[in-house]
Amino acid sequence: MAKLETEDLKDIQGIVMSGYGDLHCASYVLLQVIEPAAARRWLGSIMDQITTSEPPAEKVSALNVALTCRGLEKLGLDDDTLGTFSRPFLEGMTTLHRARILGDADENAPENWVWGGNEDAEGKPDDGSAVDILLMMFTENEDMLKALLAETSFQFKQNGVVELRTLTAGRNDDSHEHFGFADGMGQPAIEGTFQEDKAAARNVLKAGEMLLGYINDYDKPADSPMVSAARDPKPHLAPPRVAPRVATGARTNLHDLGLNGTYLVFRQLAQNVALFRHFVDEATRGLDGQLDLSASDRLAAKCVGRWQNGAPLVLSPDADDPAFKDADDFGYRDSDAHGFKCPIGSHVRRSNPRDTLGPDGPTALKTANRHRILRRGRSYGHRPKDPRIADPIDRGLLFICLNSDIERQFEFCQQTWINNPVFGGLDGEVDPLIGNISKTETSPANSDNGDAERDTIFTIQADPLRTRVHNLERFVTVKGGAYFFLPSVRALRYLASL
Amino acid sequence: MKQTILTFVAKVNPERVSDLNALLDRIAADVEGNALIPFPKLKLLHFGSLVLNDDPSYGTDLVFENNFDGPLGPYLDDLYAHASAGLHSIYSCCLDYPAANAADKAAMLAYLRAHVVHPNAYHIGNVGRSVERTHQEDDLRDGIEDFLDDVVSQGNIGSPSSIRQKVQAFVQSQPPFAWAANAQPRQTAIEHFMPRLNLVIAGLIALVLLPLLIPLAIIWVIMLRWIETHEPPPADLEVDDHVRFLVKREDRTHMVQNQMCHITIVKPGVFRRVTLRGLLWVINLIARTSDKGELSGIPSIHFAHWALIDKGRRLLFFSNFDGSWENYLDDFIDKASNGLTGIWSNTVDYPKTRFLILDGSRDGSRFKEWARDKQVYTNVWYSAYKQLTVQTVDNNSSIREGLITSMDDSATRAWLRRF
Repeated sequence: MAKLETEDLKDIQGIVMSGYGDLHCASYVLLQVIEPAAARRWLGSIMDQITTSEPPAEKVSALNVALTCRGLEKLGLDDDTLGTFSRPFLEGMTTLHRARILGDADENAPENWVWGGNEDAEGKPDDGSAVDILLMMFTENEDMLKALLAETSFQFKQNGVVELRTLTAGRNDDSHEHFGFADGMGQPAIEGTFQEDKAAARNVLKAGEMLLGYINDYDKPADSPMVSAARDPKPHLAPPRVAPRVATGARTNLHDLGLNGTYLVFRQLAQNVALFRHFVDEATRGLDGQLDLSASDRLAAKCVGRWQNGAPLVLSPDADDPAFKDADDFGYRDSDAHGFKCPIGSHVRRSNPRDTLGPDGPTALKTANRHRILRRGRSYGHRPKDPRIADPIDRGLLFICLNSDIERQFEFCQQTWINNPVFGGLDGEVDPLIGNISKTETSPANSDNGDAERDTIFTIQADPLRTRVHNLERFVTVKGGAYFFLPSVRALRYLASL
Repeated sequence: MKQTILTFVAKVNPERVSDLNALLDRIAADVEGNALIPFPKLKLLHFGSLVLNDDPSYGTDLVFENNFDGPLGPYLDDLYAHASAGLHSIYSCCLDYPAANAADKAAMLAYLRAHVVHPNAYHIGNVGRSVERTHQEDDLRDGIEDFLDDVVSQGNIGSPSSIRQKVQAFVQSQPPFAWAANAQPRQTAIEHFMPRLNLVIAGLIALVLLPLLIPLAIIWVIMLRWIETHEPPPADLEVDDHVRFLVKREDRTHMVQNQMCHITIVKPGVFRRVTLRGLLWVINLIARTSDKGELSGIPSIHFAHWALIDKGRRLLFFSNFDGSWENYLDDFIDKASNGLTGIWSNTVDYPKTRFLILDGSRDGSRFKEWARDKQVYTNVWYSAYKQLTVQTVDNNSSIREGLITSMDDSATRAWLRRF
């Protein structure tokens, strides 16, 4: 496969190629467009500050921009062009069916969100809180972030956009999330880029899986939004490199609005650390009623599928071996088909079942790799001083992921893997960490059982007999979210020129 | 124990379409509890659905899908016993329906029998498991799981064989599980053997006729390629609004299963009609030998069938499957592309193919767009066991069978892994 050209890397926003691990501070500013003309001018004025994927990656700060469907509309993108975006992006995260797919029910339901989910009676986002633009800022330290935020927020007021909410996230030196586990390993790499250099072959994906306008894993061009050439006279955009699969209306004279861009999924996930600790502590108390800290840590690791410092249970089943802390070149099929090392329903095995689900290893891996996402999330809120003591501090993960097909990638992971009660031959359990764990039975589908209270379980396979852990709680709650389009630099220039 | 798959297909009186729609909406509003067709009382029925489909060329059809235990006779009696009034209201909206009132059993059943459409090809995921057995075995498994939780919590769980002995003693001590000791096998030896024999006989006949078949096959391939290269490219399909309509019924919370119904129009000409009919015949011959719960490597289909209607001009497809629509369609693409493309490439708008089975569904997005376009709205859908997958049903059966078979240590460990 040909390498991506430098010209393309200059066009691709930096967050695609890098999580900016060296930039420890981050702010995600949710904006709403008030005056389209002024907002376009402002967008044009920040174009030179947008961080691209061009190496070297030595940066002291970074800035990236993404827009919701509503944001594109507000900036003046015409309906014909909007119609060429993918259905999940056009609908947003909160329609009834998408909420079902994502498992956003009960406390996770969009009507309980603090942002992104407030809808009026017709299901249209409430104008007061709907997000148009997401500004992502990353710096080395907090002072720089404060300065950058002050500078940009000064700009907002004069430029037709208002700040709805700013979500600030850090990155601890150890990259551990709030439950105490190392996070961010296990990423796919884009073929033809420098990501490929460090990655195991099993984790390398066609560019079209993560970027629009390129060939995807089906050897077809990833569906990309198109603008008719007549609407881009300058032109800012290029014709599609690979012939688009289906063009709306005229098949010719199109410019590729999506090329070098992708879709960005953003979800605010609050973590209840004390509740999780309480669960693993209580579930592992000895027969004498004593707390067993090592058994408690072990159960937490079984839920996650990796030890606290990152070693995968499948490679290092008995201890947190530092030699494996970044390991990502492994499968489960040959070494742990039955889940004796890494439980089948553990978080990492559900999030990426690798070579397990299918008639043979290579087929299973190929199928699983069609549902990968590039994760770019960060923790927010202060880490608790003592994870066993409940406090009122809001903390969690600002989950961000990139994919070229929201339905086939992010939503599929949520529905068919994370929240699937019968995943991998299991029965009646969901992801122990981030699943929609609900003790109340709200579904009419189960009314024949008459269950008012559901048994929430997590199965730990073992030889000769499994253990079922009961009484899981909802440890993670969805607080907000939206689907965004992360345009290329050229596409941003086009949008600014409308 | 044999299961039957069939549909009743009836033409709807154009003046009564909206009445029928309203009736079906009433059933759909409470599938389990409605009085018109009280589905849970139909003890033989695994999955059932009602589809009201309007086609500009073929008029309005009511398709009633039934997947049930045993032959048609007892099922019809049961259906009549519990749903005669509802069926009478429903079929009164159809053309040529003769019964004057719900009490006229003979007329109603004769009408239904006259409108039976048998499948050209079908698949059953859990061969030989009746509705009753499916529920019994699931209750048994739940009971054993709870018992095993107690075993684990008491510590010192013991050897595999001692665990199994405890389970056996537990099951024997429970009167609700008394049936488990002498339950029937999934299939009789004859039921297992006959489909394989049929396949062998068909193979032998083909071998004998080979000198005749080869020239025919060559002519067929040449005709096929000529047709494939001269067909206009499939039209762009605008499916967004249709999808928004369809998905309202899918993926209800905690719903393990989904259902879909397709109605496609067979491409014009005798060649496509004959090809399709022949292919379905062969696929059915092969599908009869599948008793491991998989259809072409897809492990998640409870009941599915294809049936040609309107003298072979339209093709019905019904499937009751586990998981999401996306996952199911991905399985089509990844695991069963040849067979499915072979069938549906004979119907209009299907993504372009070569040699009948190549390309086609391998264009993932285009195939999914086509599948959504041809999917019709299912007005009513019933499942007798919504929380069970094909694999769970199968596992439950293996657990029950493992209670009575003799096992060595490795077989015992494998059996314990089923929990």
